[in-house]
Amino acid sequence: MGKMYEVSNKYNNYKEYEREFTEVGRSIPRLDGPAKVTGKVQYTDDLVLPRMAYGKILRSPHAHANIKSIDYNEALKLDGVLAVITGEDCPIPYGIVPHNANEHALAVGKVRNWGEGVAAVAALDEATAEKALELIKVEYEVLEAIVDPRESVKRDDLRIHENHPNNIAYEGTQVYGDPEKALAESDYIIEKEFYSSYVNHGFIETQSAISDFDPNTGKLHMYATCQVPHYTHQQLAKVLEMPMNKIRITVPLIGGGFGGKGVASQADFCSALLSRKIGKPVKITYERSEVFATNNGRHPCYMKFKMGFDKDGKITAVDFNNLMDGGAYSGWGIVVLFYTASMVHIPYMVPNVKFDGKRVFTNKPTCGAHRGLGGVQPRFAMEQMLDEAAEHFGMSPYAIRKLNAVESGYTAKSMMYVPHSEYKKCLDEAVEKSGFLEKQGKLPYGKGIGISGGYYISGTSYTLYLSYKPHTVATIKIDEENGVTLFCGATDIGQGVDTVMAQMAAETLGVKTEDVKVIPRDTEISTFDLGTFASRLTFATGWAIRQAAEKINAELFPVAASILKCRGDEIAVKDGYFYSIYEREGKKGRNREVLWTDVVTMYIESNGPLTCSGQFTPPRRKGIQQGGNIGHSPTFGFSAQVAEVDIDLETGKVNVVKITEAGDCGQPINPMSVEGQVHGSIQMGLGQALYEEMQIAPDGRFLNPSLHDYKMPTIRDMPKIDANIVEAYDPSAPYGGKESGEGPIQPTAPAIFNAVYDAIGVRFTEMPLTPEKVLNAIKAQKAK
Amino acid sequence: MNILHEFEYFKPKSKKEALELVKSKGSSAKVLAGGTDLIIQMKEKMIKTDAIIDISDLEELKGIKCEEGKGAEILACTKLVDIEFNADLKKKYPALTYAVSQLGSNQVRVMATMGGNCCHSSPAAETPAPLSALGAKVVLASLEGERELAIEDFIHGNRKNALKEGEILYKFILPEPVKKSACRYGHIGLRNAMEIDCANMAVNVELEEDKATIKNVKLVMGSVSIKPLVSEAVPKVLVGKKLTDELIATTGEAAQSEAKPISDVRASAEYRKDVIGALARRLVKEAYEAAKEA
Repeated sequence: MGKMYEVSNKYNNYKEYEREFTEVGRSIPRLDGPAKVTGKVQYTDDLVLPRMAYGKILRSPHAHANIKSIDYNEALKLDGVLAVITGEDCPIPYGIVPHNANEHALAVGKVRNWGEGVAAVAALDEATAEKALELIKVEYEVLEAIVDPRESVKRDDLRIHENHPNNIAYEGTQVYGDPEKALAESDYIIEKEFYSSYVNHGFIETQSAISDFDPNTGKLHMYATCQVPHYTHQQLAKVLEMPMNKIRITVPLIGGGFGGKGVASQADFCSALLSRKIGKPVKITYERSEVFATNNGRHPCYMKFKMGFDKDGKITAVDFNNLMDGGAYSGWGIVVLFYTASMVHIPYMVPNVKFDGKRVFTNKPTCGAHRGLGGVQPRFAMEQMLDEAAEHFGMSPYAIRKLNAVESGYTAKSMMYVPHSEYKKCLDEAVEKSGFLEKQGKLPYGKGIGISGGYYISGTSYTLYLSYKPHTVATIKIDEENGVTLFCGATDIGQGVDTVMAQMAAETLGVKTEDVKVIPRDTEISTFDLGTFASRLTFATGWAIRQAAEKINAELFPVAASILKCRGDEIAVKDGYFYSIYEREGKKGRNREVLWTDVVTMYIESNGPLTCSGQFTPPRRKGIQQGGNIGHSPTFGFSAQVAEVDIDLETGKVNVVKITEAGDCGQPINPMSVEGQVHGSIQMGLGQALYEEMQIAPDGRFLNPSLHDYKMPTIRDMPKIDANIVEAYDPSAPYGGKESGEGPIQPTAPAIFNAVYDAIGVRFTEMPLTPEKVLNAIKAQKAK
Repeated sequence: MNILHEFEYFKPKSKKEALELVKSKGSSAKVLAGGTDLIIQMKEKMIKTDAIIDISDLEELKGIKCEEGKGAEILACTKLVDIEFNADLKKKYPALTYAVSQLGSNQVRVMATMGGNCCHSSPAAETPAPLSALGAKVVLASLEGERELAIEDFIHGNRKNALKEGEILYKFILPEPVKKSACRYGHIGLRNAMEIDCANMAVNVELEEDKATIKNVKLVMGSVSIKPLVSEAVPKVLVGKKLTDELIATTGEAAQSEAKPISDVRASAEYRKDVIGALARRLVKEAYEAAKEA
């Protein structure tokens, strides 16, 4: 274990954390909630800087084409146009995974998907910028487009990237145990193919960036909708060829990210390049069609599975072949590929595993990080196969899951270590609360109930570039004027980490959450954090905050002890008071206590300012095979869901009536926030299961790049949700808490599909499950 | 997504002034009633117009008259939300108020008007089918005077209608529902809200004195043809008969045989035909049961 554990354990002598919390566990509405709902708060696009110009990006109408020439003379002549840039202005490639960076702020020589940026304009106002785009003449040599990865791997003659034969971005194989032998010896084997669809996050706030380059100092100050400011910072430095200390990124409030803002956007780069060119601030805000054109959504997967079971229904082996559609560029691709591999190993014990995966380029907007990345696809397949196996063995779908479920202390074949799991409790509670056992297999034709489980990581053990620095640093400043001020670069993208961080700091410091000020993230002001992804923040910031707060306590406790005339290790702090654990005022009086603020005053008057930092670096476990360290996490969250459906047999429409969820997020820091995450996860999972799909024509044109035609579930489509948090406490986690933002999306789609099977006896293997597919299956059933 | 072209903007203060403008500007102008279709088309550069005549705030073009025994009159610029929540309309024409409530989102219904919905003449529009089933007429006004048309004669096809230069849609006239009749509306779309229907339908059933024999039936389908499609086959199946399960099934087939849907991003033609059958079966039964109680 790292340094932080030693430090925290040292100071921990003062107070052993029990499950008795005062601030942790409070259902506090978001601290930024009122400002959001009253429109008081400003998002990036709301900001206007003096002398600000407006930028727009010209996007390719073709999915695959060589750029022969770009003529923007006419555009420059238009009154109000300040500058035009093209790929020539940004020859250096970027990418979230630095060693396979192949993206450009604007296309260099070739476009590889519909909507790829080819030029950008800055003008005095947005309308002029848009008009200027119409005056730019781009001569394309249109190439054949490939939109199906199954086709793409066969077309070495048509390489999307010259240095990638057969359009394979990456491929990897992992073998744990002896899957071939285990399958041969299995009593029952299921072999099945599944397809998971091409979806986008659909966050409400489109990407926006304002770059303010100061020619006098050579400094760039950017305001951006970014959930990974550190990685964006790094890539801006690379593309702009500027040192990082000349670049400052401020992240205003974000209107949803879900992974989609987990890469630097072209608005970031283009606004910066334009601002540097004209010496004025430049704002670029995406239209919805640009969100779709730059995507970063979930990878569609063509999955071939073999799953073996022994005579009792125990899983013996999984053989997983995954052909992943990556779209045009690399993005998060290699990470996602190996996440799909790792997701096979939990939440069920799988003693033998083979993974064979390819991520393939196609002429479609690039796929990337999307809530629950790498998990949703294999879970969709495996949870349905478990149901099929249960039917074969005459077991209940609940029983087969319980039989195979992992428990605390489990080490997977891939060396992933699960310090804590209450997955079995999740299954029990979801089943009990929904009446699953009484209903499953017994409902009338057309009505059905289905169960599924899932899990997700609570952080990653590795950085995207080789580095040994802490993944998160938190600094707490204590003074008389502000009380508690917390600095941390962790980015609130709507998931509520600002509130949760305040709660955790308040817990250890013994003050009220509402009295903790969290400084919004800014690469110049905040302390370091890697970014918002992999559900890492509660766990990672929790340790850093707890360590910083314990250091503060270690300073303040002796002062409080001297005031209270008792031993330093017999002091505790809560609700704004330091108090003696033993000494009372009189025989039956209150414990001897002193105001927290009085102790702070005395400390500062005698010692001076008080600021302490804490840090977190996750423990590492060596993965033993290629890509095998991906998926390792300090701990894991679990979820089980039961979906109930009522199918309209005449139209094929699947109405999801109710979803009962039971989640193990350890000790919930903010139960209200956890419930919000569960509802959001279900909405997103349900959308992918039933409604959403980006539709691409054979020539690569995007057919539905608007929220008018790309159908996300509305509030009227939402089922009744019964979200439950099972009793849990993860001793390896700060305050016992784990992730709850990505685990709950894992079971939603397979639970619905299993419910549909229960309703009409048809096993569907492709998302989305449109009414048309269901009705055709019902008609085929009738025809038999 | 900005409106790039320049246009003249007129905001007449009276119906007369509006008619003068419509006449003088002719086809170079577009009339803005609620703007929920027009502005989007302009932003998406699907249309370019030299002038906009904004009649959205004209009080003379707003209002609902709905009195016992006298049918109803709805002026063209009445906001959909005012139709949706009008208690008298809801009682007398539940199919219409329900159809209106299913259009777009709350935000859209606060802006949009029924006149606009019909003049936009989209094949997937929500209000033309129930208006047609209810026997509604539109009154078109110009400086020369007024003329009346049945709604199904007003809409000619996708974004085409009977409006001549100088005319605006002034109001809708709905006849008083006949005794022992009831009209029902239904629609099929992927989601339960914010949907462009892949098919919609309104059915108006009138019964004989015996409260069992069908005297008249009007079934109108939306989104399966270039304009609201009034079924000829369904009355032949149902008139003079008492409704049975077998007849319901035949009704579905009859409606399906007439529908001429297309395939698009929302649904295939085959699926549209399937659900037309389902809608016809359901709505005929619902309207029949309701007519018995009327």
